[in-house]
This record gives sequence, structure tokens and C-alpha cells, in this order.
Amino acid sequence: MLNVGVIIKLEPDFSEGNVSYNSDGTLNRAETKNILGPHSAVACNAAFYCKVKYGAQISIGTMGPPIAETALRQAQVLTNAEELNLYSDRLFAGADTLATAEVLKNGVGKMFGGGIIDIVFSGHRASDGETGQTGPQTAWKLGYTFLGNVIEFNIDSDRKVVIAKRLISLQGMDTIIEEVESPLPVFITIDPSYRSIYNTVSQRLLLNKFRKEGRKRSEDYRQFLKVYTSKNLDLDPKRVGLQGSPTIVYRVEKIPRARTNRKTEIIDPSNPNNIMPLITKIIQLARGK
Amino acid sequence: MEQFDAVIIGGGTAGLSALKKLSDLNKSAILIEAGNQMGTKNVSGGILYSKRDPSTTIYNVEDVFGSDFVSSAPIERLIKKYYLHATSKSKIFTLDLTPLHEYKTNFGYSVLLNRLVPWLAERASESAEKHGGGIITGVHVSDIQWIDDKTIVTTNELEEFQAKAIIAADGVNSEVAELTAARHKFTPEELYFGVKVIIKLPERIIEERFNLDSSEGSAHLFAGDITSNLIGGGFLYTNRETLSLGAVYHYDSLLSNPITPSQLINQLIENSLISEYIKDEVPLRNDIKDLPKEDQLKIHLSASKLMKTYDELRYKYFSKNSKELVESGKFTNIEEIRTKIDSIKKDLIEKYGVQFVNNYVELEYSAKLIPDGKRCRMKKPFYRNILFIGDAAGRGIFIGPKIEGLNVGIDDAVRASIAISRSLENSNFGSDYMGKYYESLINESPYTNDMKKIDKDYLTLFLDIVRNISTGFIDPRYSFVLNLMKNSGFRGIAVGLANILGYDKILPIVESKNTYIQLPISLANRLGNIFTSSYVPAIPTLSERIAKLQYNDDTDSHIIVKNKKSEFMKKLVLLCPTKCYSSEEGEVILQHEGCVECGTCSFETDWKHPKGEKGIIYRYG
Ligand SMILES: Cc1cc2nc3c(=O)[nH]c(=O)nc-3n(C[C@H](O)[C@H](O)[C@H](O)COP(=O)(O)OP(=O)(O)OC[C@H]3O[C@@H](n4cnc5c(N)ncnc54)[C@H](O)[C@@H]3O)c2cc1C
Ligand code: SF4
Repeated sequence: MLNVGVIIKLEPDFSEGNVSYNSDGTLNRAETKNILGPHSAVACNAAFYCKVKYGAQISIGTMGPPIAETALRQAQVLTNAEELNLYSDRLFAGADTLATAEVLKNGVGKMFGGGIIDIVFSGHRASDGETGQTGPQTAWKLGYTFLGNVIEFNIDSDRKVVIAKRLISLQGMDTIIEEVESPLPVFITIDPSYRSIYNTVSQRLLLNKFRKEGRKRSEDYRQFLKVYTSKNLDLDPKRVGLQGSPTIVYRVEKIPRARTNRKTEIIDPSNPNNIMPLITKIIQLARGK
Repeated sequence: MEQFDAVIIGGGTAGLSALKKLSDLNKSAILIEAGNQMGTKNVSGGILYSKRDPSTTIYNVEDVFGSDFVSSAPIERLIKKYYLHATSKSKIFTLDLTPLHEYKTNFGYSVLLNRLVPWLAERASESAEKHGGGIITGVHVSDIQWIDDKTIVTTNELEEFQAKAIIAADGVNSEVAELTAARHKFTPEELYFGVKVIIKLPERIIEERFNLDSSEGSAHLFAGDITSNLIGGGFLYTNRETLSLGAVYHYDSLLSNPITPSQLINQLIENSLISEYIKDEVPLRNDIKDLPKEDQLKIHLSASKLMKTYDELRYKYFSKNSKELVESGKFTNIEEIRTKIDSIKKDLIEKYGVQFVNNYVELEYSAKLIPDGKRCRMKKPFYRNILFIGDAAGRGIFIGPKIEGLNVGIDDAVRASIAISRSLENSNFGSDYMGKYYESLINESPYTNDMKKIDKDYLTLFLDIVRNISTGFIDPRYSFVLNLMKNSGFRGIAVGLANILGYDKILPIVESKNTYIQLPISLANRLGNIFTSSYVPAIPTLSERIAKLQYNDDTDSHIIVKNKKSEFMKKLVLLCPTKCYSSEEGEVILQHEGCVECGTCSFETDWKHPKGEKGIIYRYG
């Protein structure tokens, strides 16, 4: 049986009608709804794919205040997870990514009663903070092979390897897709462009069955929920929360936007005489003139 | 290759009824639906009827989906009253046609398919899963082939699979019919064109305005000058918290007098009676200009949030469930909710410069073709091991603007399921065995063999209703019959006369400009009351209507224009409900992205539904 873990995060819902700002322009967290982060949702989809295709069992974990249960519940709807884990302790407050990774490492260690987790998925970042390091740091602490920006993967259960495609885009270079093979266990961060593909009727039927089960389970999600504190995660208080965080956020500054220096010209498309000069101009620009 | 016993193509009301019935007959069946979610591709008016006929069997929705259908399904309102409003400018004359509505009827509920279909799907898949079947969404069937003794189904999304028997429930623009050439493509003479908008209105306001008891509803038909000289009419049905306002026209009448469908809706809205029916107090934002862009955006977002809260609370306050807010402890009494609503409104006015004005709110614009069963139903509704049901088989019933397609499709579905079930038990899927048997079952249906009778019965009822109206100005062809009708002793003779005249002769009289346009206009002029509206509704432009629709765009077009210069295609520049066609130097150009898949252009194009998950996503239907 394939064991799959997913690390998720509760995030503010930035969509119109849900987000609210204080008069000083900062996010009003109390008035803004919280939801399962969109990148976490993609990670959930990848885990669910393992369930439909390889019969995996799924355990979901998140570090956060008790309200983060909402995210676990939503993740259960998406994955039909067998297990939900909330790592919640006042001591965890003020954690940077490294201290978060410490909690998550021990959290993953407790999944399915401490069994080996073959694949851990996470989103590639959160939408309310530049915290994309959490995944790689957790992988490093767990001693797992790390695969980032994965857009497609398949598992060869006989050989116990995962074959994955990664999207690599570096500034100033063409985006490439790299195909890699890695022995299990692995830690995968899923690229936002990932889509699960189910291409037989039987897979689709199974998918429906699991989705329905997931919705049903989530109605009674507390039955699947385990809450961990620093104590029962066997954590050293010095390595978690503010104490365990070497990063000091001195101040978050708005980056002043450079004044744009573009000239705008409005062209009336209904007059065909305007089109040719426009094309000529575009060609000139394209040639770098 | 995977193999399945029964494969149903299309998950509208007909297809889902087949899945439920087959599963209840302990057969394994799968249903393939192109839409990503159930109910996102289906459009109706719509009143869902349950009918009865003492002399024969009719399979109704509650027979298929359970006797608790009425108490459990997300249906809107039980239609108790049925009116026809004859219009001429601001004059309106109203006829109570409730007897027509009640004709052989157990019940008629207004429905929104985007609500109802998912519920039907849930019930059907629950039964199907017991036998290894189920529903597969987001998959578009693109081909069916017979190789040796195998029937192979090809889709755009999945690996090919085999089917022993197939039910084609893929609607009026059936590709299965096209692929197999099981029937000709419906011609404009055989079709109606329907266009509709959903209008938002709080529950209790609907009840007060239409004089309804809780959960009850009324239907309003419109004929006369609001139809722009086209054969057809308008309808307005009350739903729980919305109204369905639409128009249904003879397709060939539209072709001979092309007009933008959105304009057909506008004409209804401009009618003073209708504009009063749909009126609401609507918040109107004012632009904030003097602030930096970023601050404007933040104010905009905060105002949006407050408007959303206002709207939700107001709808809840005006709904049957308003008590829930008190029970949940959020408010101590109903009055407090009112106070809260007023205080939010005050904030919106004072802090955000929002105004509250008389207007109406449109939620969704939709359009679709409807087969006229009298003219186009398949006489032989099968091909090899495929059985056609519902709109795919062209089996809607039209009586003036009254449409029955939903109930007919459900009845077909049961008959097709019985035929397939028998074939599965005897492993014989030959058309002589399965198809012929289905045909015989369909021919037992009152929807088939009584179609002519239904028309005559309706005519009788109609004449009965209008018999007390002065006949001086009515077409002489009617007045003779009407005079007979006045005397109950002669009523039988009048019906007999209608019979002698012959069905084919009556149809053109019933479906003529005279009946649909002149008669209502003169009724309104002579006998109508004057209605004035207290405001001028701000009708959205077509672009605004399209902008509100949700699509999952496909880069490839699902429609290919065959002849860019044909007269027919040129008419589509006006007739396409979402203006997908434009004309340039005598050639028609298609931009498929805004297509709502109505099928209006299919007559002269290579027309397919979009691939699975792609295309229009209706949220009301
Ligand atoms: C404006 C209007 C008013 C109406 N009013 C009424 C009314 O008041 N009462 C009434 O009874 N009827 C009414 N009707 C008629 C009624 O809505 C239809 O008869 C009924 O919805 C048809 O149901 P169906 O299941 O046959 O087809 P549809 O609901 O059209 O379902 C066909 C399904 O097949 C799917 N599909 C198509 N091709 C494929 C493919 N190749 N692969 C996979 N899936 C596919 C489609 O996505 C769709 O979901 C009205 C119709 C309109 C348009
Ligand atoms: S393109 Fe054709 S099918 Fe699509 S909305 Fe226009 S007329 Fe209807």
C-alpha cells in the first residue's frame, strides 16, 4: 500500500466579495474569510490521483491555530483522506519557514502511526507570504529526495520509483521540462499548472466514488482528526516557534513602483486607414527600433 | 478494452432518468456527460409536469426518482395559476388558462435545471453505483463504430470502450443522430427557438407581488405586439427566489424575419406589466475618481464585501428561512435583521456613495433550440443498438407557448430502459429485437399516440375559456366554432368539426400570425386595461449579458462554417444569441468563444458540442 502525506495551509481568500482591508491598507484578517490555499489544493489533487490510480491512503497535515481545521476539512473533501493532523501549539507562533519545517518533519513522522510515508506533497508556495522554502526545508529535514515544480508524475510500484516531469523556468532562459526518476520516498512540491488526468471509464468511476466518500467523511471530519502539540510531536521547544526561527523580519516594505514612462495613443479600429501605420509601428518595435 | 452493458450519452433529465431506471432494473449502466458538472449544459423554461391518463400508463418523474420527489428535490414552486396576457402597447387583457395547465396533470413545478439536474444525478448515480455503473462528466462522445460484433464508443477524453446497448439522450442537437444518420437534421420548420433570462427577486417579494401562498407559483404567458410579428410568445415563471423570463419562437418565423434574440427579451422587459413584475430596489455604485488607483480599488473591494453582506442578509430576511438567523443566535428577533439591513444600507449610501434605485437584476441569459414533436419526432427512434430519447428523438410537445419536453423525455427514458433491460437478459441487441420493442413501447405512450388528441383537447379547453368573449373581432374561422361553443349542447359538434377539418388543417390555423399576434392584439385593444410602469428598467446590453456568462474556452472551434456566403449564414449575424457571427465583405466569420451551444447555426454548419468540460457553463438553466 502506498502511503501519501500532504502538507497544506489555511490562507486568506483574496477573491472579490470575501477579502477586506483596514483603512491603512493592510489586510483585515478578522473580516476576511479563510480557505484552503489554492496551492495546497493542487497538492491535494496530486495526492488524490495517487489514491485513484495506485490505491494510496492519504494523511493530511497542517501547522496552525485551531481554525486551521477548516483547511483540513476542505482538503479531506478533495482527497478523501484517511487521516487529518493538526499541529497546533502556542509555542509554534511566530515560526519562520525553518521552524515550521521542524514541526512538519515530526508531523510527517507521526502519520499512519509512524509508518513510512512514500510521497509527501505540498503546494509550491502560499499566497499570503513568500514562504516557498517550507517544502524543500521539510524535505531536507526528513532526508527525502526533493522534487520541485512537478507537473506530472507516475509511480512504478514494482521498482518503487517515481517518474516525474518538472517545469523549470529560470530568468532569462527558455522554460524547460525535465523528466526525472527518483526512488521513493520523495517530497514533491506541485506546480500550479498540474492537472490530474484520468483517462479510462473505470478510473472515472473510482474517482466519483472516492469524491463522494470524501465529502461524506468531511461532514464528520473530527472523527479523522488528530491534534498534536509540541509535546506529543516530541519537539524541542528551542527549535520551534519564534525561538527556533533564525529569520528576523525587520520590516516589510512596499516596493515603490517605478514611474512608467509610456506614451499611449488611442487608435480607432473602425477606421481601416489607422491599421497599416499601427502594424508598421509594431514591426519597428519588434525589430528593436 | 473496457466493456459496459448500457451506455447513456447525455446527462439531461432524459439521460438521467434512463440511468436511474436501468439501475433500478438491476442493470449496470454508465452515463457520459460533456459538461464538467451536471446541469451546466441544460436549459429549460421550465415547468416540469407530472401527468396522468386513466386509460394508459405515463412514467413520471416521481415514478423514476421516488415518491418523495416533491418533498426532497430542489424544485421551485408548485404552479397553481396559468395566465395568458394579450398585449397591445400599454394595454393588457388577461385570460386565465389554468384549466389548460391542469389538463391531465398531477402537478407542474417550476424548475431550474442547474439545481434539479445535480439532484437527479445524485439519486441516479447512487442507484447506478450499486451495479458497478455511474456518471462520468466532462467527457464528449465523438464517435460510435461497429467493428465485427463490437460497438465501440470514442470520446475526446478517454480510452475507447465497448457498449452492448446505447441510449442517445444528447439533446436536440444530437451528434449521435448525426453520426449514425438515424434521422435527418431537424429543419427550421421543425424547431422552436427559446431564449431566456433569469431575474433575481427575494422570495417574499415574489409571493406578495404575484399574490401567492408560500411555495406556490404562477405562470404567465404573453402574446400580441411584444412578439415583434413573430409566431411565438413570451413566458414568465415564478421560481423560489428568481423569475424565468423568456420567449419561444418558431424558428422559421425567425428566419423569415431575423431579429437579435436578446432584443426579443428586451421587448418583454419593456412591457409595463412585465417591468412591474420584475422590479426591485437595486444598489447602484458611483465612481470614485479623486483617489489614487490603489485606494479606489480597496474602496471598491470593501464596498463589494458590504454589498454582498447586504444582499445575502436581505435575501435571507425575505425568505422562508429568515427564522434561521434568529434560531442560530445571530439575531434576537426578525426586526433586528431589518434594522441591520437598514444600517448597512445607510453605510453603503453614506460611506461608499451607493444609491438605491428601482431596477431589476438579471442573473443569466440563455438560449436553446426545442424540437416540435408534432413535426419532427422520430418515427423509428432507434438505430442498430442505439435508442433515442427526449430531445434527441425530437419529442417535445408544443401547444402554443406551452411546452412539455421534460416529462416526455422522462417517459421515453423508462421505455428505453425496459427495452434494454430485456435485451440484456436475453443477450439480444439486434434492432429487430431491441429497437422494434422500444418503438412499440413508445407507441403505447400517450405522448406519442395522443399528440394529435392533446392538441384537440387543448383547443377545446381554449375555446371553452374564450367562449364568453365577444367574438365580433375574432377571425371568422374561429367565430363559427366559438358560437357553437357558447352553447354547451353544440360543444361536442364544435370539437367534431375540428376533427373533420382535420389535424393538418387545424395546425396552420392554430399556429398562424392570426392566432399568435392579431388575435391577442385585438383582444388587448378592445378589452384590455392600461398598465403603466413606475420606472424605466436599465436593460443590460448583449455584451453585458455575455460578460456575465461563464465559459471554459476551447482554443479549437467546435463549429465549422461550410458556406460563408450562404443566405442562411448571413441571417445568423442577427440570429446567433451571443453574436458569434459577424459579416465582412459578404462573408460570415465565426468567433466561437461566446457560443452558448443553442444549435441555431447547426443547420448549415459542421456542428459539434465542445469537447468535455469546454464551452458554456450555465448556473441556472
Ligand atoms: C426556453 C425553453 C423553455 C422550455 N420550457 C419547457 C417547459 O416549460 N416544460 C418542459 O417540459 N419542457 C420545456 N422545454 C423543453 C425541455 O427543456 C427539453 O425538452 C429538455 O430539457 C430536454 O432534455 P434532454 O435530456 O432530452 O436533453 P438536454 O437537456 O439537452 O440534455 C442533453 C445532454 O447531453 C449532453 N451531450 C450532448 N452531446 C453530447 C456528447 N456528444 N457527449 C456527451 N454528452 C453530450 C449535453 O451536454 C446535455 O447535458 C423548454 C426548453 C427551452 C429551451
Ligand atoms: S454559434 Fe451557433 S450554436 Fe453557438 S450560440 Fe451562436 S447560433 Fe448558437
